[in-house]
Amino acid sequence: MRHGRFATGLLIVSMIALVPALTPLQIAPAQAVDRIASAPSALVYFHYPVDGMRVPERFTVKIGLKEMGVAPAGVVKPFTGHHHLLIDTDMVPLDQPIPSDYNHIHLGGGQTEVVLTLPQGTHTLQLLLGDHQHVAHQPPIMSKKITIYVR
Amino acid sequence: MYRFASLCSIILLIISMDARSEAGAQPAPTRNPSAAKARIYFIDLKDGATIPSKVKIRFGIDNMEIAPAGVAKPNTGHHHLLIDTPLPPLDQPIPSDFNHIHFGGGQTEAEITLPAGEHTLQLLLGDHAHIPHVPPVVSEIIHVRVDAATVAKTRTPAPAGASVSLIEPADGATVERKVTVKFGVSGMELASAGTSKPNSGHHHLLIDTPLPALDREIPSDLNHLHFGRAQTETEITLAPGDHTLQLLLGDHEHLPHDPPIFSKVVHIRVANAALAKAAQAAPTAGRQPSPPDAAVYFVYPTNRESIYPNSTIRFGLRNMGVAPAGVAKPNTGHHHLLIDVDTPPLNQPLPSDLNHVHFGNGQTEKKITLSPGEHTLQLVLADERHIPHDPPVISERIKVFVKNVRKRSRKR
Repeated sequence: MRHGRFATGLLIVSMIALVPALTPLQIAPAQAVDRIASAPSALVYFHYPVDGMRVPERFTVKIGLKEMGVAPAGVVKPFTGHHHLLIDTDMVPLDQPIPSDYNHIHLGGGQTEVVLTLPQGTHTLQLLLGDHQHVAHQPPIMSKKITIYVR
Repeated sequence: MYRFASLCSIILLIISMDARSEAGAQPAPTRNPSAAKARIYFIDLKDGATIPSKVKIRFGIDNMEIAPAGVAKPNTGHHHLLIDTPLPPLDQPIPSDFNHIHFGGGQTEAEITLPAGEHTLQLLLGDHAHIPHVPPVVSEIIHVRVDAATVAKTRTPAPAGASVSLIEPADGATVERKVTVKFGVSGMELASAGTSKPNSGHHHLLIDTPLPALDREIPSDLNHLHFGRAQTETEITLAPGDHTLQLLLGDHEHLPHDPPIFSKVVHIRVANAALAKAAQAAPTAGRQPSPPDAAVYFVYPTNRESIYPNSTIRFGLRNMGVAPAGVAKPNTGHHHLLIDVDTPPLNQPLPSDLNHVHFGNGQTEKKITLSPGEHTLQLVLADERHIPHDPPVISERIKVFVKNVRKRSRKR
C-alpha cells in the first residue's frame, strides 16, 4: 500500500519550536486574487533532502531561497514571501491562497527549515513560495517536485 | 619571469624539442667560423622604441645564410633571441629557456608577447648545434619599452566619447552612513557581466581605493563592487569619515575597456551624527528574547572550506523564523553576515558596513565576492532594529580559504 494520501494521524509535523502554531488562515473561498511579482531569477530549492534521497522517518527539511527574502505571513514587502511545503500532493491552483492542511505545510513564521515525520515509503516534496496572504507569486516560485524514500 | 614564461611558451613549444636535445651536450665543443662582415640585426626596431606587448619582430642577416638547426653547412646559422639577459657563454650551446628563444626552424620573424615595462632584446646567431660562431655574430642590444596599455590583448575597445559619472552623491557632499549611489553612463550601453556585446559594459564602484591595474580583471572585494547585472544604482553603508568613490566600467570579463572609462573621484564625508544617535539609542534598547535551541548556521560554506571568490553563502536558521528588518514579530529576525571582523557588541544595533552585511529583506543566501586568501565569516541574527537577541543567536566563526582563480583569458 502506498501512502500517497495521509490519514490525519499519520503525519506529525513538528513545527519548529516556539514559532507559535501556523498562522491561522483566512482562506477566501475560491476567488482569483491579485498576485505579487516575484524577483527575476528567484528560485526556491531543497538544501535537504535532495531528489531520490533515502531519509529516516524523522528528518529536517532545509529550504534555500535565491534572489528573494523570507518574511513571515502577513508582512507585505516586495520580493519576500514565506515557504510552503507540499507533501504528496500536486501543485495547487496558483491564483488562490495555498490550502493549509497536512499536505500543505505553511511556514508562516518565516521558517527556513521544518522537521517532518513521515511514514515509511515513497513520498514527494515540493516547495512553493507564497506572499503575505499565502498566494503564489507571479511568476510562481516553486521548486522541482522531489521524491524521497523514508526507510 | 614566470609571467613572461607563460607568454613565450608558444614560441618555445615550437622550438624546444630540437634545442633541448642538443643543448648542453658537451662542455666546450668546437666552434664554427663566421663569415667576414657577417651581421645580424633587428629590422624596423630601434633602440629605445616603445612597442606594443604583442609584437612581431623581424630579424635580418647579412653575409651569412640562415639554416635550420641540425643542418651543418658553412657560413650558416639560425637566430636566437635573447630577452632581458646578457650574452650567454659563447663556447657552449646557447641555453634554451624563456630568455633564450631559439628559432631552429630558420625563422626570420617571430611574434612575441612581452609584459609591460622595459626590456632588452638581442640577437645571437648559433650554428647547427646552437653554438655561437667564432667570432660570434651578435646584434646590438635594443632597449624597448612595452606600453602597459597594450598588455591585455582581450581588452574591449571603447567608443570615443564614452564616459561614466557619479550622479549621486555630489563631490564634496556630506552624507548619511547609508548612501544611495547613482551611476551614469553615456556613449555606451550597460550589459550584464558575461554578455559580450560591442560598446557595452557594467559598472564597478571603487570605494576608498585608487584605480586598479587596467590591464586585468577589476578586483572584486569590499573596495571594488561589481554591478554585473547592469545596475545603475546601489545603496552602500560607509563608516563615518572621509571616503572616495569612483566608477570604472568593465567589459563582460570585468576588464576595463581600451581606453578605460572611469569617472572622476568623488570625495564624500559621512557625518558622525548618525552613529552617535545609534549609539545613544542602543543602551536603552531592550533585546528581544530568543527561543532556546535557536541556532543560526552556515549551510555553505563549512568551516575551513576552500571556496571560489564568487560564492553564494547560504544561511540556515533553526527554531526561529526569518523576517525582514522592520518587522516586529516574536521569534523572528534577519541575518547579518560578519566578514573578517570580531563579533561586535551584542547589546546595540549591529554596524552596517562592508564588513557587517545586513540581510534586511529576509534573504537566506547571498552571493558575495571575497579576495583570494583567508577570511572569517560569522552569522548573527538580529531583530527588527538590528539588535541581536538575548541570548544572541550567533553562528560559530568559520574560516574559509578563497582560491586564487585566474581567468583563463590567455590562449595557449
